[in-house]
Formats: sequence, C-alpha cells, structure tokens
Amino acid sequence: MKILVCIKQIPDMASKFKPNAAGSWFSEADLAFRMNEYDEYAVEEAVKLREKDPASELAVLSVGPARVVEALKKALAMGCDRAVHVPDEEAYRKDPWQIASIIAGYAKKGNFDIIFTGMQSQDRGSAQIGPLLAGMLGFSCVTTAIGFSLEGRTATAKRELEGGAKGVVKAALPAVITCQLGLNTPRYPTLPNIMKAKKKEIAVLNAAELSSEAALAGTEKFYAPVKKGTGLVLEGGDAAALAGKLIDVLKEKTTVLRG
Amino acid sequence: MNLELTEEQKLIQSTARDFAEKELAPVAAALDRGEESREKFLANIAKLADLGFMGLNIKSAYGGAEAGSVALSLAITEIARACASTAVTLAVNNLVAEIIQTTGTEEQKKKHLRDICSGAYPAASLALTEPGAGSDSAAVSTLAERDGDGWVLNGSKIFITSAPYAGVFAVFAVTDKAAPKGSGISCFLVEAGTPGLVIGREEHKMGQRASATNEVSFENCRVPGDALLGALNKGFSSAAEGLAGGRINIGSLGLGIGLAAIDYATAYAADRKQFGRSISEFQAVQWMIAESYTELEAGRMLLMNAAARREAGKPHTKEAAMCKMYATEAANRACYNAVQLLGGYGYTDQFPVERYARDARVTSIYEGTNEVQRFIVAREILKSL
Amino acid sequence: MKTLLVFEYRRGKPAEANQELLGFAAAAGGECAGVLVGAESGLPAFGGKLYLGDIASLGEYDPGRHAELVLQAAQKESPDLIVFLQSSYGWDLAPRVAGRLKAAQVSAVTGLAEGGFETACCNGKMRRLVKPATKVAVLTLQEGSFPLSGTPSGTPAVEKLAPSGSSAGLEFAGYEEPEKKEVDLAKAEVIVSAGRGIGKKDNVPAIAALASALNGEMGASRPVVDAGWVDHNRQVGATGQIVSPKLYVACAISGAIQHLTGMRNSEFIVAVNTDKDAPISEVADVMVIADVMPFVAALTDKLKK
Repeated sequence: MKILVCIKQIPDMASKFKPNAAGSWFSEADLAFRMNEYDEYAVEEAVKLREKDPASELAVLSVGPARVVEALKKALAMGCDRAVHVPDEEAYRKDPWQIASIIAGYAKKGNFDIIFTGMQSQDRGSAQIGPLLAGMLGFSCVTTAIGFSLEGRTATAKRELEGGAKGVVKAALPAVITCQLGLNTPRYPTLPNIMKAKKKEIAVLNAAELSSEAALAGTEKFYAPVKKGTGLVLEGGDAAALAGKLIDVLKEKTTVLRG
Repeated sequence: MNLELTEEQKLIQSTARDFAEKELAPVAAALDRGEESREKFLANIAKLADLGFMGLNIKSAYGGAEAGSVALSLAITEIARACASTAVTLAVNNLVAEIIQTTGTEEQKKKHLRDICSGAYPAASLALTEPGAGSDSAAVSTLAERDGDGWVLNGSKIFITSAPYAGVFAVFAVTDKAAPKGSGISCFLVEAGTPGLVIGREEHKMGQRASATNEVSFENCRVPGDALLGALNKGFSSAAEGLAGGRINIGSLGLGIGLAAIDYATAYAADRKQFGRSISEFQAVQWMIAESYTELEAGRMLLMNAAARREAGKPHTKEAAMCKMYATEAANRACYNAVQLLGGYGYTDQFPVERYARDARVTSIYEGTNEVQRFIVAREILKSL
Repeated sequence: MKTLLVFEYRRGKPAEANQELLGFAAAAGGECAGVLVGAESGLPAFGGKLYLGDIASLGEYDPGRHAELVLQAAQKESPDLIVFLQSSYGWDLAPRVAGRLKAAQVSAVTGLAEGGFETACCNGKMRRLVKPATKVAVLTLQEGSFPLSGTPSGTPAVEKLAPSGSSAGLEFAGYEEPEKKEVDLAKAEVIVSAGRGIGKKDNVPAIAALASALNGEMGASRPVVDAGWVDHNRQVGATGQIVSPKLYVACAISGAIQHLTGMRNSEFIVAVNTDKDAPISEVADVMVIADVMPFVAALTDKLKK
C-alpha cells in the first residue's frame, strides 16, 4: 500500500490579517504558521492506515515556501515515512488548478493507492484540491470524510451532511479522501519522534518540472468584510407582533430558519 | 549571530502550546480552586510524559527526547501559560532527571530515568529544603548514617514539590558531620514506599495550588548502598550543575505566567470601553502594556542565552541566576499590571489574571530566592576580578 | 450573462437553500436555466428551463453521473456561470465539473463586485475578489449570501436528461442518522441563553422550549448557573464556553463583559431585554425591547406553527 498525504501550512486563524503590498493576499509579517487543521486529520488518518500495514509506505507532500518544512517535519514526527517539499515562494498566487496539477505531476509517478488531504484549507477555503487531483489522476474521490475504513481495495467513508446525518460511500482504490474535522483525534507528535524525524528524508522537487499549467482564476484584492451596522431595535406593540417582526428579520438575515 | 530557533525547537514549542491550550487551559482554573480532582491533574502529567516532556534533556538510551535545554525552556514557558502547577511539576521532574543523568551510575540511570521519562513515576521530587535550611541550603541537618552496606536517614524536609505522588526523591543529607559547612553533604535516591519515608502535611499555598507541596520526614529510613547518588560528601557540588538548570526552568515558568497575564490583559484593554473609548487608547494603559512586554522580552532573551550556553556545555551559573531573577520579577510585574488593567474584575475569580498573579508570586522565591540569585550573580562577577 | 443553476435534493426533497441560487440569479441578472437530479413530483419553484435527471436511477449522491448531467446541461445552455451551493453536495460536485471543463472555480462566493466574485477566506474573517480567466466559471455560493426577496414561484419547463458515464468508482451505501449527543454548545448553530432577568428557575423550561423550536441548545449566563437554575455545562462566557453560533439569542442578559467575551463572535445576535441601553446592545444585531417571558412564549408559539 502506498499512501500520500497532502498538507498546507496556514497562518494561525486567531491572527489579525492585513493585505500584502500588492493587496492580493495577506501579509505574512507578524503571522505564526501551522499545519492546516483539516490536514492534521488527514495526516492522522494516513498514519493510522500506515501503522496497520508494516509493508506500506507513507509520504507527505507540501507545496509552498521554505517555512512549510516545519509542517512537513510535524507530519514526519506524527509518523509519515518521508516528505516531499515543492518549494514555491509564491504558492499563494497559484490557484487550486495549478496546485492540484503540481501534486498530480508528482503523484502520477508515485503509484499511490490512496491520497488523503484536508477537505479545505482554513485560509483559502476553496475545497477544490481533492476532487481536482482525483480527476487529474483518474482516482475515485470522497469529500468531507468524518469516518473512514478500508477493506481490501474498497474504502468506506462517511460524509458529513447538513443537519448532522452522514452519507456512507464506498470508494474503489485508488482514491482521494478529503478529511473533515472530527474524522479522528490527531495525535500530538512526541518529542522523541520530533527529534528522530530529523533523520527522515525530505525530497525537494521543482514545481515547474511537475506542472506548467497557467492559472484559471486570479485574486485581485484581499480585504476585510464590511462591518455590520448598528443593531436594529424592535419595540412597541404586543409580544406576538414583535415575535412576527423578529421572525421576518431572522428569515432575511440568517439561515437558521431554513430547512 | 543567530536568534532563530531550529525547526525541532519550534515544533516542540508548538506541540507544548497546542497541548496547553487544548488540555490544560480548560481545567487550570478548576484545578486551582480544587473543583477538579488531583487525578485529573496527574492524568495531564501522564499525557505529557507520554509525549516525552519528562525527559526533554535526557539521552534517548534512557527514554529521553534528547531535545536540549533550549527546547526545555520553551516547553516549560508554553505549559506555564496555561497551568503553572503542571509546569512546576514538569520543571522539577526534568531537574531531578538531569541531576541523575549527570551524577548517577549506569544502574541508577537505567532504573530511574526510564521511569521518570515514561511517566511510570507520576513525578520525581527534590528534597533539599528544611525548616532550618532555606536560602542557607548548606545548613541541611537531615542525617544519613552508615548501617552495614546501606544508610539510615533521619530528619525532615519542607516545601517538597510533588511529594505525595513522586516515584523517587533526590534527598540531600549530611554524611560527614565533621566536615566544614556545605561539604559533608551527599545525595540519595529514595524510592516512594521506602519504610521510614513519611509524606507529611500538604501546604495550603497562595498559588500553584494544583501541585502538591508537602513536608517529608525520614524516620530511621533505611536505603541500600547503591542509593547514594554521585560522590560521597560531594552532593552539593555535583548537583550544582543540575540546580543551575533548575533556575532556567523556573525563569521559563515565570515567563509563561507573565505572558499569559499580559496577553489576557492587553486583549481586555483593547475591548474594554470607559469614558467613551477603548481604555487601550489611554497612555497610562499603553505604558503598562509596553513595559511588561519589553521586560518579558528581555527575560526571554536572558533565558534563551542561559539555555543555549547550558546546551552548548558552556559555563552558565551566572546566566542561569540572572535569567531566573529577572524573568520571574518581570513576570510578577506583568501580573501586577494585568490585574490593574482589569481593575475590579481582575481581582475576581471570574477572570484568570488573579490566578496568574498568585501563581507568579512564588517564582521569585523557590528554586533559590531572588536574593540568593543576586548573591550568585555578584559572586560570579566579583570572583573574576 | 447566462447562468446554469445546479439545484439540489436533500433527503428526498428540494433543499430550501435552493432559493439562494435564485437569489444569485436575480443579483447577477441575465438568462438562467437550472439542472437537478430529482423527481417530477418534487420540483423547485422556478420559472425557467430545468434539466432533470431522474433521482430514482441516479440517486441522491453519485457525483460521477451527476457531473455528467451538469455537463450535458452545460453543453445545451453554454452558460457563462455554473452555480452550486457551498454545501456538502455543492463543494463535492463543483470541482468535478470545473475540472472536466478546465473552468475556473470560485468557492464560497459572498457577493458580486467589480466584474468578479467576492469570496470568504481566512475562516470567514476576510474576503477576496477573484476574477476567473476562463470562458465559463464554476461558483459555489456561501450560505446566506444571496437571500431571495420574496418567495420563489413558477413551474419549470422540464427537459429530462439521462446521463451516460460511470459512477467514478463510488457507490452510495445509505444514510446514518445523527446520534443524540451531550451538550456541546460550541457546535450548536443556534443558542438561546437565559440571563438573571428571567426571574426564577421556573422560567428556564420556557427558554429551553424556544431553543428547541429553533433547533438549538439552551445556554445561560453565569448568575443563572451560579443560582443553580441551569447546569454549568451550559454556561456561556469567560468562565464557561466560548461560542460562535449562527444565531445567539440572549434572553434577559444585560451583557456583563464576562458574558460578552463568550459570545460576541456569534454570527447574528438577538438580545431580548427591557433596557435598550443594556451593554448587550453593543454587540446585538437586533435588540427586542420587551418583557422577556411573554415575548419568549409568543416567539416559541409562532415558530412552532
């Protein structure tokens, strides 16, 4: 069994985001970076699968600037066997199509049986890489997995649906599985494993050699959403009339009264 | 000059931070108030042991992480941000482990280091302080007398961290009554459950309340000959290096509490409105914030320097004393400012800063009072003249 | 501008959120057609052309063949935009369609701006303006971004399509119903909290009834918990849980700062209070000025109908 897990490093979401000089993405100054939370679940699921089969091999891949090596090392310390870094100081300018093409450029030679990744990144939130990658490789693909098991060449994944129900889907390998929060409990890397991971291989590959696809979409601006105005005041009339008014407001401004 | 952490150090720091935020922060206040049980507290300590935090600077052959002194300092700071009681347990366990690693025999290392690192010992204790030997630690009066091929200990210790759940105690006792003060003292490894080892009353402390601090007495407590740790009558000098590491640990712990306090208070100040505007717009408030962060940053640099020197095997007695003294005092001032910034709210247990203030207070007292640290710094400077 | 709206079925009937697709079409202007895997007996209210795949043969989840259906409809319509909801169905299907067309996809669209699309990023804290460079673009719409004014109406002109193609290696094996869980306020989409102003413990069930009418959980402020009216695991605030639901209804909560700390990041905040100037008004999107208990009863009553 050959397993690949694809991860991204993202800024701490509690940070305050400021546009970069070009105004097209956030400025990295003053931001602390960490592994995309969805990807932590992907790594954990991949490691669990790896541990069940001593003959299997688990690689972790990330496209991004030099700082992503820290995220790769975390994945190695969590139990991945080797890492692949595709250095790209301007990865943030690439669209999901380009990133998926780079990963596909690597994965198509790797003979992988299963590829895990997060269902989306916390910063971009595109949720496209998994299905795009599967399409490029001709793999089956299940998104938003909150349950996963494997029997022979058939993976069974539970997809998280609206309202808390789950859809059970069987996928034939080779497959791409995108992971939702809550799929498992991502382990903390142990300190001895962090130190031992120093000796694991981190291969460095050239992005341009893996894919030369152009972007299909470009980010023109990056900004904070318009702040909501001062609150609306509902008063006067009897309780039933007020309740009716509030329900109208909730229907218009929120999604909670829709099925 | 390179002030960047290595990737491994950053990863250990972020692992400690993640653990602290997810596992420790949610229960720290309840543990402090006694609303959460000691079992919960020890369960967190056990989880930290599983992750390798109890032998950060111990060789992997003995079950340690071999991650170095800088990583140890970073880890203690991150843990202390969430729970000072957990941090002090971690700090003392690592201190005792390092003393055993530096001075112990191969058998002692195999026997005790593995159990400290793995968490088989819930904790380890250092038994030095006595009612009559506080800052004047050479005034130790607990006596160890030869008894065939073993030793018999008699005396009492106070303020012993982790005593009720420690698996092993590093006990300092007089072995040569005739020797000049400070030189006839040896160190013994006494295992929990040894007859005559009596765990006494637990102190009701101002802060760090989840961590136990007890009297421990030795009543004809017989230990075998191989319980002697390091050279006979040289207990003090051989433990000195470990104790310097202990000071870096406590400075790191203070830094964590101070940062937690001022981070909380600064966020609060940005949010809190009085006189029609955010109080963070007032210069008096800005000064408190600026001074606390500056002092804590200075403390951090002193800590990193001392830890890096220790990791590189360079002399660091003076640096360890400096960083312990400075960082813990900066932390206390930061906590003072934090309570002040929250005003009346800061004085209530509805906000965490009063706990930080209580937890920080002891950091300028234990592991050598800051007065003793000043004495050490001056001694180190003057002796080179 | 021509749009192709990809409607969705959820558990055997058209999703109510489909109306956001119509809201988008109205906002974007121009022609629009729809495509749906569903049944003729349950069509969305929509006055345009609707390409219909038969749910009996295609199933509710079969992205391989559903993508094929969308592609067939797209071939007939040649739309500029193919629009999905940002839902478990939409975010799964959209990139499969976009990939096949090598079309730009913009996910989680929150608005139209400057000839491009505004999308949410950084956990919803920030926005991006994205411009597709391809002839046709695929969008997914962030929930709540394109409300339809008025109720949808009309009967679609149905053209049935029977997609060929495979199920892309997937087989749907059924649904698993949600389990009853312990209180987890952090995960609740709606929280209705009781404050000291509800007056007495006997009023707690009425607050709980409102929470359940909104499919949410009941929370409480600290004084209510301290008084023993409500369990501690429902406390919202600095010393309780920090929550950010889609809707937070504060009933008779004045808004002590330790409470605001715990709920101010909620997406939409309604405060019911007798005091218009209570501190909670600083964070409330809607202040309902009323006697709390009669209002709560009236609201619960209306919601149940």
